[in-house]
Amino acid sequence: MSFDIALILDSVPKLLAGIGLTLQLLLLSGLFGTLLGVLTCAARLSRLPILRWPGWLYITLFRGTPLLVQIFIIYYGLAQFEAIRDSFLWTFLREPYWCAILAFALNTGAYTGEIFRGGVQGVDKGLTEAAWALGLNRWHRLRYIVAPIALRLSLPAYGNDMISLLKGTALASTITLLDITGVARNIVAKTFAPYEIFISAAIVYLCMTWVIQRLVAWAEWRLNRPLRAS
Amino acid sequence: MELALEWARPFLGGALVVLQIFAVALVLTVVIGLLGASAKLSGSRALRWLAHAYTTVFRGTPEVLILLILYFGSAVSLTALVRLFRPEIQFVDIPPFWAGSLALGLIVGAYATETFRGAFQGVPKGQVEAARALGLSGWQVFFYVRLPQMWRLALPTFGNHMLSLMKDTALISIIGLEEIMYTAKIATSVTSKPFTMYAMVGVIYLLFTWLIALLVGRLERGATRHLMESR
Repeated sequence: MSFDIALILDSVPKLLAGIGLTLQLLLLSGLFGTLLGVLTCAARLSRLPILRWPGWLYITLFRGTPLLVQIFIIYYGLAQFEAIRDSFLWTFLREPYWCAILAFALNTGAYTGEIFRGGVQGVDKGLTEAAWALGLNRWHRLRYIVAPIALRLSLPAYGNDMISLLKGTALASTITLLDITGVARNIVAKTFAPYEIFISAAIVYLCMTWVIQRLVAWAEWRLNRPLRAS
Repeated sequence: MELALEWARPFLGGALVVLQIFAVALVLTVVIGLLGASAKLSGSRALRWLAHAYTTVFRGTPEVLILLILYFGSAVSLTALVRLFRPEIQFVDIPPFWAGSLALGLIVGAYATETFRGAFQGVPKGQVEAARALGLSGWQVFFYVRLPQMWRLALPTFGNHMLSLMKDTALISIIGLEEIMYTAKIATSVTSKPFTMYAMVGVIYLLFTWLIALLVGRLERGATRHLMESR
């Protein structure tokens, strides 16, 4: 058993070629997922049961089942319905790329929805009451009081969720996509050198995790400015 | 619906495999988590560093990759080792069940390490000092004083780790374990009803995660019973 350095040097550029796809998956599903999370949070906190109830159902379904199952249901499962195959949606849903993004976005949306809800509920009631007493309307209370504080409260958990999302994108390799993990699996299938290739891939992910952590720490530092000033 | 019933038996068998993996990996998670937390809180700088490296790597790498490294890595090593003595053998591996349980135990164990560490630190120092003053030995202090109080603090977060662990069992199908994902794949190839079959898998996991949430709620009430009564 020896570690093949030449093989690592040869494979690293190929693995790096997979970063582009991993980043696309991360950024697009992160963006859609966050928007979905905001909507879900709003639905869950709504006074109308007709909004609250679907929000609860969505979160329960997507947080209670494995991401891999969600990916397979979307990628393999939806083809079972002729109505979907005949609709315009099919141009997207037959592509593993869009199926992966849809699955990741739906999954992250459920988690971030709960994170944001926790943030909003963590805002001191006295603050909203004070804002109310000052005559701020609904939109202003949300924009200037609730949202900034809720954002600050939910940021650490949100950062962790983005790291989970990054790790989750590795599952795109199960539906033939060539992200970092997909490329690594391909090389291993040819060379049968799992240690060299998979550990190199793991190091690439570790670097990306580190970057996300730094970004979140920086955002936390920025958002906590008012607290430091006092 | 009748299709789902027709395949109920294979799915039940697959679900049983999931439960077995979950049970084995859960034991590993707790053991590894306790060892990791002890290392992080120990006086030895080398142990602390090692535990830190462990949690950083295992929490920052995709679960699938860890699974693939452990399974294919161990297979390559084992094969090389066995071929030293029996060159005619082509391939030896650790069965996916055990490689998978170990991988899940190591992954979730890294999270449990952090949770247990925080919880151990949350036990008031006076408790340990009082136990010491009463003449309890190091082991007794650990088992009768620190562990039960740590457990109460760790339980809510550890409950989430149990849910992650349950959901991560689905990944083991990637290294070829014949559990429910595999059942769904076979059932799909026979019936060409992928949605029905994978939805079945989803329902089974939903049931399992719901049961875990229920169990954790029970345990939490049990662990904080003494606080309820005094109110």
